[in-house]
Amino acid sequence: MIQFERFTLPNGLKVIVHRDTSTPMACVNILYNVGARDEDPEKTGFAHLFEHLMFGGSVNIADFDNVLQQAGGENNAFTNNDITNYYLTLPATNIEVAFWLESDRMLSLAFSDKSLEVQRSVVIEEYKQSYLNQPYGDVWLELPKLAYKVHPYQWPTIGKELDHIKHAVMGDVKAFFQKFYCPNNAILVVSGNVTLEQVKALCDKWFAPIPAGSPPLRKLPVEPKQTQARKLELERDVPVDAIYKAYHMGARMDQSFYAMELLADILTDGNASRMYIELVKNKKLFSEINAFTFETFDPGLFIISGKLSEGVTLQAADEAIQEELKKVVLAQVKKDEMEKAKNKTESSLIFSEMSILNKAMNLAIFEVLGSADDVNKETDRFMKVTEVDLLVEASRVINENNCSTLYYRSKSKANGN
Amino acid sequence: METETKLDRVTMPALGKPSKIDIIHATETKLANGIPVYSVNGGTQDVVKIELIFPAGSRQQELPLVADTTNVLLEEGTTKHNSEEIASLLDYYGAFLETSAHHDYATVSLYSLGKHFSKVLPVLEEIVKQPAFAQDEIDVYLTNKKQRFIVEEKKGRVVAARNFPALLFGNNHPYGHTTKIEEFDTIKKENLAAFHKGHYSSNACTIILAGKIKDQVFNSIGDNFGGNDWKTADAQVNGKPAELQPSAEKKHYMPKDKALQSAIRMGRVLFLKNHPDAIPFQILNVILGGYFGSRLMSNIREDKGYTYGISSGVVFLKEAGYFQIASEVGSDVCDKALVEIYKEMDRLCTETIPEAELQLVKNYLRGNVLRSMDGPFALAERFKQVWLHGLDYSYYEKYISTVADITAAQLKDIACKYLQKDSIYELVVGAKKA
Repeated sequence: MIQFERFTLPNGLKVIVHRDTSTPMACVNILYNVGARDEDPEKTGFAHLFEHLMFGGSVNIADFDNVLQQAGGENNAFTNNDITNYYLTLPATNIEVAFWLESDRMLSLAFSDKSLEVQRSVVIEEYKQSYLNQPYGDVWLELPKLAYKVHPYQWPTIGKELDHIKHAVMGDVKAFFQKFYCPNNAILVVSGNVTLEQVKALCDKWFAPIPAGSPPLRKLPVEPKQTQARKLELERDVPVDAIYKAYHMGARMDQSFYAMELLADILTDGNASRMYIELVKNKKLFSEINAFTFETFDPGLFIISGKLSEGVTLQAADEAIQEELKKVVLAQVKKDEMEKAKNKTESSLIFSEMSILNKAMNLAIFEVLGSADDVNKETDRFMKVTEVDLLVEASRVINENNCSTLYYRSKSKANGN
Repeated sequence: METETKLDRVTMPALGKPSKIDIIHATETKLANGIPVYSVNGGTQDVVKIELIFPAGSRQQELPLVADTTNVLLEEGTTKHNSEEIASLLDYYGAFLETSAHHDYATVSLYSLGKHFSKVLPVLEEIVKQPAFAQDEIDVYLTNKKQRFIVEEKKGRVVAARNFPALLFGNNHPYGHTTKIEEFDTIKKENLAAFHKGHYSSNACTIILAGKIKDQVFNSIGDNFGGNDWKTADAQVNGKPAELQPSAEKKHYMPKDKALQSAIRMGRVLFLKNHPDAIPFQILNVILGGYFGSRLMSNIREDKGYTYGISSGVVFLKEAGYFQIASEVGSDVCDKALVEIYKEMDRLCTETIPEAELQLVKNYLRGNVLRSMDGPFALAERFKQVWLHGLDYSYYEKYISTVADITAAQLKDIACKYLQKDSIYELVVGAKKA
């Protein structure tokens, strides 16, 4: 249970405060309601590039990191398809420095040409490091493209292609800031050794003077129902074949999400999970297999990915996965499987609340999804899923006509055979 | 608007008075059989972590991969329950295991909700005392591990990380050995069973506890681990003595066709954690590459855009310490990046660190100490990190006072002593230069 209080500034900035006096630290988390899904299809990767630029100096402060480090703080940020989130921790006694820093970059950036030029290069290196220069890295460029035809989840956060990043210009940067980086498009969460009064006073001082903006109403295209199986084969310089299957499922706050998360757990989480026992241990078809969801806000994907054992064909691997999935659709999961999956989930939620940073981030994410109150309803939502619910949901999702399958072939194997 | 005109957004708000750093010490008790139990009680959540530490690392093994494989295989079945049954028992209570083998030691940890602790502890007892090392489990594990090893070998940074220690220590030294693919085929069930018998025993075990620790927790631990049933006549605490055989050549290059980035590792052997220069060098390391605002990050990422990230670090093992820099840079700018890295090391030897930069790093490190001691799990880790090196909490007091008192002149001396260019080993893994 995370206790918190909340208020909204006249400029629309939502503020949430969680007090935890067991720590000498404080955490400040600012979530901006903008992600890769809000990008122009011709200028993808921009939300993430922009996140880098947020560290390139604001209107009154030349160097964000420098100042924060002087205050004993540490920070980072991430961008995903749905949101951009900035977080920092520092000794609670220096909390005002965090307000000074974060409010200044919400007010305006320095928009330095040098920063744009350098961060373009940095992001290009990041692109190479994560997607191009490591085995199987481009799966996450290709698979979403296959699964989504209309919705902007078809491109990854880093961008569709390197060229989009190379061609970003200062005009784009300024327009993006104007559009999305305003108080009424943000959620501020302060957690740790702070009081509500203290946070209120600091908000009045540092954030209240920032004028409201007019963030656009989000009108994203709805992905039409997939009606036919989709297949893609790639051949790459990797040592072993791999398979990826992506099934369309519900949105983050749908009941579907909770059912599919539990199913993923039952299928591949740990030494007692179904696919691990059957496909890795008994049949030895895979060296590893994983089921997971992307936790996207809009309707997402349920993914099964596996690396094949020596001598196993992609077709045989695919059939074996489908056979296991068929069992889930034909009969309810066993009571004890369900119970274990739920208990594990409950326990990991309790462990995750050990950190003020995790708590702050979760409060911000649930607030943008609808209400921060939901952070304390998560456990219940998982507990409420019944074996029948899971069967119904799995039957809806698990269907080859609802699936995009990627065969990722090893080039050396293909030539060798 | 009136308040806006008055608000000074240019001057940094005054920093709060640095809060006194209270280091909460672990308390020591002993089980009936003499096993020391160090515990840190605290936190807001009703959770417990118990960590069993054994001298069962790669330094203690006779054959490659035995320490690691023994450690992992503990979870894969006992004389009473198979791997699936063990996992099921723990899953049911939402508990989870974590095993890890290092150079000097290996650990088996159990995380549990406080209310279920006494129900899952017998599972930990069973896997530690009675692992089965069944042949089919060993085969499945090694086959799959070998495949992952091959996949990882495709990554330049992994190749660099795997091969760099051999340059510093020599391939026959336990800290320097680079695993070879054929070594996966040499491990036998007998090796694992023998290694387990000699190293996972009550007379070689230490326990660290963290979380909300109630009396009941101690009683359970006494019941499950306090007996003499798992004592061994000759617990092998120390590995065989090893001789340093560093590479004669300092600069090394390993080709990787068509790589878009080159992986860089640079560094040298240093000293033990108890050496008088250990703390000053760590502070110097932070300035060079140990935080986001470091000189390497500022120059090579934030000024030149050659990389997504570059960092340096100090590793303290029981019998040696070393320093290393790691990065992946664009293939076309690799040479330029190397020049800049040497330049930054050289600047630390020839130029005095500006006062503002030093003060910033001091403040940052003070905050870091607070952060690293936040919560019972973090505090338990701090205890472990001194205990492993035969040190005590005075190390942290010394660290805090050194951070407060060290001068730029002292850091320059340290840099001159340890960062001379000709003492630095260099490994580049990447595409052949044009």
